[in-house]
This record gives sequence, C-alpha cells and structure tokens, in this order.
Amino acid sequence: MIAITGLVKRYGQSEILKGISFEVQKGEVHAVIGPSGGGKSTFLRCVNGLEPFQSGEVRIGSNVLTPSTNGRSDARLLEAVRRQVGFVFQQFNLFPHLTVLENLIEAPVQVLKLKRSEAVERATTLLARVGLAQKHDAYPRDLSGGQQQRVAIARALVMEPAAILFDEPTSALDPVMAGEVLSLMEDLARDGQTMIVVTHSMSFARNVAGQVHVFADGHDVENGPPSKLFEDPQHPTTRSFLSQSAKEGGPPPVPAPAPAPAK
Amino acid sequence: MISAKGRLAVWLLALFLPGVLVSPFPARAEALAEIRTGGRILWGGDQEGGGPYVFPSDKNPALLTGFEVDLAKRIGTYLTVRPEFTQGPWEKMPDMLRTGKIHMILNGYELTPERAEVMNATIPYYVYALQLMARKDDARVHSWADLRAARTPKAKVGVLTGSAAETYTRKFCGDLCDVVAYDGNTDTMREVETGKLDATVEDTPIASFYATRFPSLRPIEEPVQRGYYVIYVKKGETALLEALNEAIVLMVRNGDLEAIYRKYGIWDAQQAELADIAARGRFYGYSKAVTAKIEKNQMPIEEAVKADTRKRGWQVVKEYSGILLESAGMTVVLSFLSFPLAIALGLLIAIGRLYGRPWLKLPLSVYVEFLRGTPLMLQLYFTFSFLPEVGVRIPAFWTAILGLAINYSAYESEIYRAGLQAIPKGQMEAALSLGMSRALALRRIVVPQAMRIVIPPVVNDFIALFKDTSVCSVVTIVELTKRFSVLSMSTQATVELMGMTAILYLMMSYPMSLIAQRVETRLGLQQQV
Repeated sequence: MIAITGLVKRYGQSEILKGISFEVQKGEVHAVIGPSGGGKSTFLRCVNGLEPFQSGEVRIGSNVLTPSTNGRSDARLLEAVRRQVGFVFQQFNLFPHLTVLENLIEAPVQVLKLKRSEAVERATTLLARVGLAQKHDAYPRDLSGGQQQRVAIARALVMEPAAILFDEPTSALDPVMAGEVLSLMEDLARDGQTMIVVTHSMSFARNVAGQVHVFADGHDVENGPPSKLFEDPQHPTTRSFLSQSAKEGGPPPVPAPAPAPAK
Repeated sequence: MISAKGRLAVWLLALFLPGVLVSPFPARAEALAEIRTGGRILWGGDQEGGGPYVFPSDKNPALLTGFEVDLAKRIGTYLTVRPEFTQGPWEKMPDMLRTGKIHMILNGYELTPERAEVMNATIPYYVYALQLMARKDDARVHSWADLRAARTPKAKVGVLTGSAAETYTRKFCGDLCDVVAYDGNTDTMREVETGKLDATVEDTPIASFYATRFPSLRPIEEPVQRGYYVIYVKKGETALLEALNEAIVLMVRNGDLEAIYRKYGIWDAQQAELADIAARGRFYGYSKAVTAKIEKNQMPIEEAVKADTRKRGWQVVKEYSGILLESAGMTVVLSFLSFPLAIALGLLIAIGRLYGRPWLKLPLSVYVEFLRGTPLMLQLYFTFSFLPEVGVRIPAFWTAILGLAINYSAYESEIYRAGLQAIPKGQMEAALSLGMSRALALRRIVVPQAMRIVIPPVVNDFIALFKDTSVCSVVTIVELTKRFSVLSMSTQATVELMGMTAILYLMMSYPMSLIAQRVETRLGLQQQV
C-alpha cells in the first residue's frame, strides 16, 4: 500500500537521499535505523509530502507524489495522502492552545467533517486506549513528555489512517517515558496497524518490527527481517552501527557478531 | 482564499499610488440646481478661527454663532434653502470647494487675485482693514513705524497664517521686525498679552469683537490696508454666484447686514462702501445691477453678542464638559470602527507576506512601507481630496475610518508577521500532517496562537490609534482634540480645557489597558511556557 521508488532528495548541492526504494504492505511494521544524518527523518517527511523531492515517486494507495508535486496546486492530493498517512513527531507538536480533547477532535471535525459528538466519542475511546482518559481537559503543558507523545499518537490514530509514520518518537523522552510510548506502539503493531518507525530503539526494531532498514549516507544499505539483520548483518555500516549502539545503549540484545569475512 | 484576500490588499494599494495621474473632472455649473433640489446650501468654515466669524456660542457650546452664521441664515432665507455648516480646516477650504464638499466658502476669506484665479468671488459682504495692536503698558510701540525701530531683539509681530495681515506685515517689516505666524486668530492677542509678542496685526472684526476679552491691549493708529471679505464659489458656478450677489445686495439695501454687524459690534464707517458697491452695481468682475425689491429691516432685533470677560476655573469645567464629552464620543466611535478593520486587514497582509504566493510579496511590502513611511495626516487628506476626483463620494466620516484603518493595517501587519513567525514550524507541519489545508491550518492552529502573542503590542497600537484620531480634523471631523482647539480659541480658557481633554483621553484609554491586561492574563494561562 506504500511504495517508494528511487527517491532522491537534495538540499542545494548535498544529496540527502540517494535513491531509496521501499515497499510497505498492509499491517507491516517497518523500522528504520541507522546513524544520524543518514536521511531517516527526511525520508519519512518525503513520504507524507512535508518535503518535496527531486526524483523518484511515492505511491500511497492510488495517490502518487512526484518531484513535480506542488504544495499549492496539488494541495488536494497532499491532503488526501496525509489523511491516509498519520505522522508522529519527535517534538510531539501538540497544539498548545487546545486541550487534549480539542487536540484530538480538531482534525476529525475540521477535515473529516465528523459531527462533534462523533469525534468526541472516537477521541474518548482513544484516550482510554493510550491510558490518558483522565486528561481530557488538560492542556499539553500540564502533561509529561511521555503523556504528550501518547496524546500525539492518539491524535494521529483518531483520523483512522491506513499507516502511521513515527519520526524518532522517543528521542526527546527519558527512558521511563520512552518505555510508555514504545509499549503503546507495540500494542498498535499487535493490532495490525501499518507503521514506518524511524527509531534509535534497537529493542523495538528487533522485537516489534517485521522489517528493519538501515539508512546510512542516503542509502538503504541493508534491510530484512530483524532476526536476519541483527543476527547476521551483511553490510559493514550495519555492523559498525549495531556494535556502536550496543556499546551506548545498555546490554546488547545479542553478542556483537564477528566481522564477516571479506567477499 | 489567501490570494483572493491578497488581491484586495493590492487593490487598496492601487488606490493610493496612481492618484497624481488622474485628472480632475471638468467643473460643471450645477451647484445652484443641486442646492435647490437638495434644499440645502453647504457652507464651509472653521470654527477654530473663533469670534466673531463662526464660533461655539458662549451660552451653549454645542451651538454655533457668529456674524457669518447669521449671514448664512439670511442667505438661506433668500435662496429658500436650509444653510448647513461644514467644518473644515480654514486653509483647506478651497480644496473642499473644488471637491464638492461645500457649495461656498463664507469664512473671512479675503478677496485676493490668487484666489479669484481658482475660484469665483461674490461682491464683498464686509469691508475689513488691518488693525495693529499692542499692550497698553508697552511704551515702545505707539505707531507702525515703531515696529521697525532699531532694537534688540527685533520687535515680534504675530499674525494669522495665510491671512492678508501676514502678507502685509511681512512686507512692512522686511528685515526690521520679526513676523510670527499663528494658526488661531486670538492666539496672537494672548501672546501679546503675556509679553511673548510685542504686537499683533488683526482684521478689524477680531480686534473689535475681542477688545473686551483682552483689556490690556490697545489699538495702534487707524486701521490700514482696507480689504474685502467675499464668498467664494467653485469656478464657473455663475448661477450660484449671481444668486449670492443678489442676496448680498439685498441685505445691504434692506439693512440686514448692518443689523447683523451691529449685533457683533463690528459695524463701522468702512461698511459704507458696501452700500456704494451695491448702489453702483459694480465691483471688479461683478457688474450686473440688481433690481431686487427692497424690504426694510428684515432682521428681527436681536440681543447683541459680545465676547464676555474670560471664563475661568470651575465655570469652564461646568459649561464645557458636556460638549467635550460628546466629542469624546466621536473619538471612541472612530477608534472602535477603524481598529477592527485595521486588524483584519493587517492580518491578511501579514499572512499574504508570509504564506502568500511569491508575486504577492513585493506589492504587499510596498504597501506596508508606503503607509508606514508617510504621515497619517497626508494619507487622510489625500484620500479625502482624491476620492471625489475619481467620482467616489463617501462621507468624511467614512473617509476618516478608512484612512485610519488602512494606515494602521500596515503597523498591525508587522506585528502579526512577528507573531506568526514566532509560532514553531512544527505547528503548521502537525496541522498539515492531519490533512488540513494550509488555510485551515492557519485559521485554526497558527493564527490563534499568534493572536495571543500579539495582544500587548496590538493593544498598544489601539491606544495609539485612539489618540491619532485627532488627525481626522483635517477631513472635517470634529473629535475631542479639535473640539478642544475650537473651544480654546473662542474662550481662551486653554489651561482648563486642556486639563479636561487630557483627563477624558486618559479615562478612555486607561480602561482599555486594564481590559487588555485581563484578556492577556486569561489567554496567557493557556499558553505553553
């Protein structure tokens, strides 16, 4: 349902994405990992049209974004894409002037034209699901980071998107709060929610994702199911990245693999 | 949506720029017909000029009195129409006449070749001369010649700006005495009284009428340089001109003029010339003998109007607070109608500059820079005199509202621009990611947050606009400040009136600051720290 082919993104002279191809089927969870500056976030922002790109195409269901897609003249197309693909930001980006409930019902009422009562019903169910039923009338500033991110996830879910894109959703959180958010995401995955997750959490990539991609220097250098990728990484970048994150991020999930013999 | 609103802004801009290119409509002689169908004659004057011409009555400051008010009434009677006074700045009367805001100027306008060139003048309704006045206790000034006497510093003589007195006195003084021009008729007399000036040259009606108000002044020598007050009409309005001439001749012959002038204590020997002109039926351009039937003493005998001794202290407060309060109402109405417009316009401009299409940005910044970079008074006056030239006739009141709104929209747009830019990019992105259009995201997410940020500077601007409404007097609106000048000029109770005016402004602006603070606190609660 999401198919990206040959995606190239340049900022002036520097090439951020150097031809990424990527396919996501319904119900799949893809994790994107890799060193900083590898183009992970930029890739995600291209998928829902927040960033224009220079070559390739992004196909979401029957909608196709191309390099000539224009923020103004193709506004309808972009809105259609974004209604199908939710987005969760690293910095949450809740609307500070609205309560939690208002944050959730804003788009259903304004975009989907749901009745307010209907939107409130959806929102209430989702708030209960993310464990924040009590926070209806709180303002974002009254919530912890973890709570804010859970509201942000609920805000994406309330639109009932076909897929949700997560852009490092736990990077701005301390480990405890990150845990809250990750377990919620795990829940969603179990329920069959299609997701692409850019993350630094190796455990999420290993335990929840069906497919893991390693992005480095604008390339999808290696991808595959986590078992294969974590147990038997092929690409040198993958290996050095995995050993690097094993050193930094607590006890390694598996012993660092021995360097593969040169081919 | 953005571009449509942007187009409005461009249109408004276009309104201001090409003004100089549009030629005025050709003058059409239709004033008399218009007066007769409308049943009213609009006559222009400036009550700030003071007595005895047109000034607020001492007994009821809401009413106008003055010999020209009585003249207009008589003219109305003879033309069988209702005279309607139109307030305007004295020096701007010819513009008002040209743009059709008034039918005639009847306000101590002297007959001069320059004016006769651009307007048509009637025969005179008053023969004036220039009276030199100085302090009774000033031994240095006993004659005109004394003004030119060698002394340090040179003698200072006050005159009314743009008057015949100024022209004459400047010529007389040359380098030997200093001529200082004032905007009010009686300002100079007061300045002589206080010793800031050594002498003043006044038209004889003013000198006679205010003699009692300034007892410490005395006339020096006989009046000099005889001249004529005439009524001016738009160039080419011969029918109206003749009707007015006939009315004047009639009033000379039947004694109306004498009765009016005696009422104000300004009848003097010089007025004999009026009868002469009427009898011979000849005066410069005017040569048509009038055979109107003579009706004796049409004027009812009226109580003489004299300048009282100067009112002071609580008496001023008691008598004038009512009318000042009423004028404060105009100030409030002007601000409360124009500011919401300015805010709406400013917001659209800011959005257009930040989020609009590229081609829109240059015209919008030109709009903002143009309006910020030129004085409000100039813009108001431009709108006022330019719109009628292109056939747009809107009342002065709406001209003022429009002018204020457009001027302040430039400032508001800059405030909003700053406010909008202060909202993190992530807010727009989050809204777009939920499938909102840019317009919807702006309306529901970005602008409401920006609003909260800009409350303090916007309130600040509102208070500024509130006081800037005083500039509207250039487009004939009488609001608080103008009322103050008018009253101060006719009563000379400047200090008391000034105090009352200041208190009124403060009483209106301070509650607004308080309300703004409350709104700010309430909304501030909802703001992310």
